[in-house]
Amino acid sequence: MSPNEEPPLIPETNRPAGSILSGRRTTILYLAGLGLALVPFLLLSRDLFWLNIITYTYLFAGLAVAWNIIAGFGGQFSLGHGVFFAVGAYTTSRLFLTWGISPWLGILPGALLCAVLGPLIFLPTFRLKGSFFAIATLAFNEVAFVFANYMESLTGGPRGLQVPFRAAFVNMIFADPRHYTGLMFGFMAIAVAISVVLMRSRLGYYLLAVREDEDSARAAGISVTGVKLRATALSAGLTAIGGGLFAMYVRTIDPISLFTLSDVGVKFALLSLIGGIGTITGPVLGAFLIIPLESYLRALFGGAGPGVHLVLLGFVMLLAALFMRRGVAGAIDAMRRRWRHRNQQR
Amino acid sequence: MDLVHILVVGLLLGGIYGLVSIGLNLIFGVIRIVNFAHGEFVMLAMYGAYLCYATMGLDPYVSTLLVVPALFVFGVVVYRLVLQPLHNESSMQIFATFGLLIIMQNVILAITRGEGYSVPSKAAALTFGLGDIRITTSRLVIFLAVTATAVALHVFLKKTLIGKSIRAVTQDRQSARLMGINVERTYTITFGIGAALAGLAGVLLSPIYSLSPGIGGNFILAAFAVVVLGGLGSVAGAYFGGMIVGLVEALAGYYIDPELKQAIWFLIFLAVLIVRPTGLFGQVGAEEIGFREQG
Repeated sequence: MSPNEEPPLIPETNRPAGSILSGRRTTILYLAGLGLALVPFLLLSRDLFWLNIITYTYLFAGLAVAWNIIAGFGGQFSLGHGVFFAVGAYTTSRLFLTWGISPWLGILPGALLCAVLGPLIFLPTFRLKGSFFAIATLAFNEVAFVFANYMESLTGGPRGLQVPFRAAFVNMIFADPRHYTGLMFGFMAIAVAISVVLMRSRLGYYLLAVREDEDSARAAGISVTGVKLRATALSAGLTAIGGGLFAMYVRTIDPISLFTLSDVGVKFALLSLIGGIGTITGPVLGAFLIIPLESYLRALFGGAGPGVHLVLLGFVMLLAALFMRRGVAGAIDAMRRRWRHRNQQR
Repeated sequence: MDLVHILVVGLLLGGIYGLVSIGLNLIFGVIRIVNFAHGEFVMLAMYGAYLCYATMGLDPYVSTLLVVPALFVFGVVVYRLVLQPLHNESSMQIFATFGLLIIMQNVILAITRGEGYSVPSKAAALTFGLGDIRITTSRLVIFLAVTATAVALHVFLKKTLIGKSIRAVTQDRQSARLMGINVERTYTITFGIGAALAGLAGVLLSPIYSLSPGIGGNFILAAFAVVVLGGLGSVAGAYFGGMIVGLVEALAGYYIDPELKQAIWFLIFLAVLIVRPTGLFGQVGAEEIGFREQG
């Protein structure tokens, strides 16, 4: 392929196990990448302002990776993942508040619930494609928002739930903010690991086949709906875990903070798109770029007037959409291929 | 409150939803772009009406003549600069319109510093009785406007050359191009008209709502529900879909629980999406066209 040609529709980095991306070398590469992701944490662990940003970055990187499983690999552009995020957050806090169940355990029922609920609510929508699917899942988010406000006994209604500060390891409440950062890093690492394993598994290949061409996949004997449902269960369960961690970190959750599209449901999509949708590293890269940028702009321009930092962020998004169609991961991949091509010609 | 009263309230509310949805449905149906910023176009037009009032003392019904063409131009510029380059990249288009949404909302927020405005209109404040039901002029005007717009748009699409080319491009982009239709220009005009219709909605809504930068969010999801309910790219669908959503909201708000009214029409919307994904007036098969098949 000549360097002047347009890149193929699906970036080459999607290859789950290509010539250079296989076996032990990849594992080492991913471990090195995760190690690199630890560097800001180690460098800035004394700075509370940056520590908070890094904590959020790890958390949202993990959430974007989870979203990317069904949306990027499976091609099902969900805008309803806020529902799973919220269910995870509410379940974990509610179990802790009412029965004193440790969040370490309480996070699991939420994840299981979503692993069942996700396929159940997505099942009827899988007939829809493209923007129709996106809008239908967006509607789930809105229905859930209304119900979260309504079911006060469960969710605390519009006032939300407050988890009292009782620092203890078993309560997943820490006096030292660095422990949260480590926790979120662990979440991100697990999400990435699941992605990597998935993309080398049979389910991962099926998922790519379904994304590329449903009819051909079906003709090849793949149960299209079954594959989508299993990927949804995985994606929704992981998102719920992220929601539970979020709830224990902020310790105060309400419908606004859990369902606002630009902060939750759509944000997973934005991070993945900016980093490179359908790649393993893309969502992480997106989170590492956008979350700190957003917080930094807010701190820098917060005094200049309300909304100024968001105007800038909007422009960054617009420019990214216009000039980096394959996201950061796609841009890096194109650069690498061009470089390799030049070397071959010599 | 008797049933007739609820039905009147519902129909007038449906008029608002219909008016916001018509432009969105045109863009969605023809160009297949999910324009998340549509509610912000409406919001922008509301502030346009305020600007006309504050600088020239114009009644919002008069400033329609200025704001609607301005929104058409704005729509054309946005389409040319942002959306046309992303043609065939549906997920990036969603992303870009979301970026536009954030920019527009926050530019207005930064300019107004979050202060709430309202646009007074002497004409809009009048009320009159229909039997024992009192109706404000502003809501009746919207109902009449959405009806007139639906009829006019229908005639425009059926009879005029531009309208015919819009329909041709919707049905088959490739064949339309082979017949000598300038597809890109048709898309640009369509987006402009969609934005202008959002502008009309915004101006007519400005006497009813107090203005805030986030007000577009109140309309956009309802508008999506209307579009899917009524049917992709169908003018009649947007009109009657709006009425249905308005009526359901009014009935559910009265008989079930006002807090749940939105959830109920969303559930109906989901049910329609699942049972009849083409919507009530849509062409069969439209929903099957996903992101990739557009090319």
